[in-house]
Amino acid sequence: MIKRPDYPPRDTALVMRMVLIALIPGIVAMTVFFGPGVLFNLTAAILTAIVSEALCLRLRQRELKPRLIDLSAVLTGVLIALALPQAAPWWLVIAASAASVTLGKHLYGGLGQNPVNPAMLGYALMLISAPVAMTTLWINPLTTPDFLTAWSAFLGHSSDAVTGATTLDLYKTEFRALTATEASRNPLFTQAHLGFIYGYEWVALAYLAGGLWLIYQRVITWHTPVGLLTTLLVISAFFSFDPDTATPVWVHLIAGAGIFAAFFILTDPVSGATSPKGRLWFAIGVGILTYLIRTHGQYPDAIAFAVLLMNFAAPMIDHYTRPRIMGREASVKGPGGQS
Amino acid sequence: MAEYQIRRCDRQLEGGIHPETHKDLSTTEPCVFVDDPKRLVFPIHFSGGGPGEALVAVGDTVSQGTPIIKCQSGIIHVASRAGTVIDITDHAITHPSANQSASIIIEPSGLKEQSYLDPLVWPFDADSLRNRAIEAGILGLGGAGFPSFKKWSDGTQTLIINAAECEPYLTADDTLMRIDTHSMIRGACMLSRTLDIKTIVIGIEDNKPEALEAIEDALKESRSDCFFDIVLLDTKYPSGSERHLVWLTLGIEVPTGSRSVELGVIVHNPGTLAALSRAIDGKPITDRIVTLTGEALKAPKNVIAPIGTPINHLIEATDTSPSSLTSITVGGPMMGYAVTEFTAGITKTTNCLLARDVEIPPESPCIRCGACATVCPIRLQPQQMVFALKGGSLDLAVHEGLGDCIECAACNAVCPSHIPLAEWFRLGRFEVRDQANEQRLASEARERFEARNARLERIAQEQEAKRAARKAKTADALEKARKAREQTA
Repeated sequence: MIKRPDYPPRDTALVMRMVLIALIPGIVAMTVFFGPGVLFNLTAAILTAIVSEALCLRLRQRELKPRLIDLSAVLTGVLIALALPQAAPWWLVIAASAASVTLGKHLYGGLGQNPVNPAMLGYALMLISAPVAMTTLWINPLTTPDFLTAWSAFLGHSSDAVTGATTLDLYKTEFRALTATEASRNPLFTQAHLGFIYGYEWVALAYLAGGLWLIYQRVITWHTPVGLLTTLLVISAFFSFDPDTATPVWVHLIAGAGIFAAFFILTDPVSGATSPKGRLWFAIGVGILTYLIRTHGQYPDAIAFAVLLMNFAAPMIDHYTRPRIMGREASVKGPGGQS
Repeated sequence: MAEYQIRRCDRQLEGGIHPETHKDLSTTEPCVFVDDPKRLVFPIHFSGGGPGEALVAVGDTVSQGTPIIKCQSGIIHVASRAGTVIDITDHAITHPSANQSASIIIEPSGLKEQSYLDPLVWPFDADSLRNRAIEAGILGLGGAGFPSFKKWSDGTQTLIINAAECEPYLTADDTLMRIDTHSMIRGACMLSRTLDIKTIVIGIEDNKPEALEAIEDALKESRSDCFFDIVLLDTKYPSGSERHLVWLTLGIEVPTGSRSVELGVIVHNPGTLAALSRAIDGKPITDRIVTLTGEALKAPKNVIAPIGTPINHLIEATDTSPSSLTSITVGGPMMGYAVTEFTAGITKTTNCLLARDVEIPPESPCIRCGACATVCPIRLQPQQMVFALKGGSLDLAVHEGLGDCIECAACNAVCPSHIPLAEWFRLGRFEVRDQANEQRLASEARERFEARNARLERIAQEQEAKRAARKAKTADALEKARKAREQTA
């Protein structure tokens, strides 16, 4: 039994590397159920992220080496790749990754300076600029494409036979006219190994495993994932009194980016709130907004917009969630300072 | 036999870290006296106790114990060895914020001439003890150098002996408690008797079993009627911070802006109490135990060295050539500061000289991971404070709690971006003090200006009144003269 470390890893590059390691189970599960397109996306996004990072550093006349070896750009690339549709064409992946690194990060001063989550900025930008590709090129895990099909999708010739909307989206569109019982007859649910959603359930489980390992290693704290997942659970459970119109609780939790985002997106320390209590409120905010946008908005998933909105709220959350300093009567609230 | 109990601390230090202690590096060798150096250096303003003035002149002969510096606080520093004052000049000193300052240089003669004070005989009152502490130059020997007598107020209920020594590498207190236990206990008892303190708490980390045993033995022999409450603390940095020790041992949270003294609790270092015990016998502070340690020293050990001994003399005492080192840390690895000029002499607060080669990785940007906040023992958000300081907004940093920072540097130890957080905070706190000082000076200047204006106005008014009176008088006289003239006419 390896002892749980007392502190978070002692080096930024190590932090990034551990997050990347924690993503491996999720990547494997994604590749198994959604096909080799996941790997094409990853490769293209990582390469683009590294090139963009280097280019930006050069333009900003900064040293290349320390920032390239700390793997922060690689991580941004991986996160955006995993967030994109699995049958996304190459240009979408490259544009998303480049936007994440340049507009999401370097525009504000590079590592540690970004006000919003770079990957989610890239994602949201693509969702607005290329809505069709971003909503229709998701792989149906029941029809996992082979290498050639995936490759041709990557080159821009996707086949309608394997792609479509996400499960979350189905509830908004096709399932709207169905009763809960009718919807549950969909093969995605009937063929599921664990009784939830075919494929998605394993991916969610894999991300969960990686995320729990990160908590164990003290790279992240429990506040963020617990905040998001509990909020989603509570709100969707509250509104599930009418199962024919509401999206089921577990679809909210595992069909979309819920688990992935809870452990790997919302936990970006730079753009999130920083105190433990602040992280909890930040995640609760994302949970509420996600539910609202998923249910009443136009977009299939809502994590990206919810995260971006809460990113802007993070500094304010920090002002009101400071811990009580030893020796003080109460915690200091409010922004303070004149400059 | 004095009554005592040993108990395990039932409180947990929130935050804090478990650094490698490296204590056995210097505790395996016995503590020895060092030979007298060729010269002794005494900074006039930086010996502890505030800025001072020299009481001797170049050419004067001094004995061991002759007063040589009198500080603003009253504290008197004495010559640690008999010899001759060969110079009073600017010299390298050991201090975190000054490299050079006016110093008295004494060349020891090797003679055993002593000029001590008369022993203080019981019964004596608190004032006599305070005077004695001033004359004997008793300061907090733990590192802060706060004049001890200022802590001794009436109404004190508890004395805490800070035997935690939580800083890695340091073993000076541990050594003192092993070899000079009786003096420490006697000093504590005398102080308690004078101030009518009933309970003496000893806060000691559980990594000092030998010291604990020595204390127990000493207590069994002691005839003190004080109750000794020995609290075993988990070995965790910074359990020896005064605020944390008070909380760990007594459960009292000292409010921000107050000192434990105001709550009836005084905290002393073991060395301070041992020095007090000797001062009562008439012997001022002339020597102290210094830990000479670090991987770069060939024979690390604890030594008893005269105050003022140059650093290079002590490095040589460990069979190490001073020229093999580029810098030495005064104090421990957490709170110490680097000194590069080895001709500087040790002061009463120099508890450790640490020589080691540490490679500090290059700093990278803060990613707000919050690791620093999880180890901050007073629950600050160092990531927010350093963000404010780097942005140049001191007031924002103060709002975040910069003023509460105890500069323990636990945050430095865990930062994955290797940001020297504690250094930023020390600098920031210094600037805050500086600003406060400037503000005080400015308001004093304004008051002076206003007072001057008022004075000038008053003078002008007085002159005006006088002139008016004179005018009236003249007019009166003229009137009288006119009337007289009219009458005669």
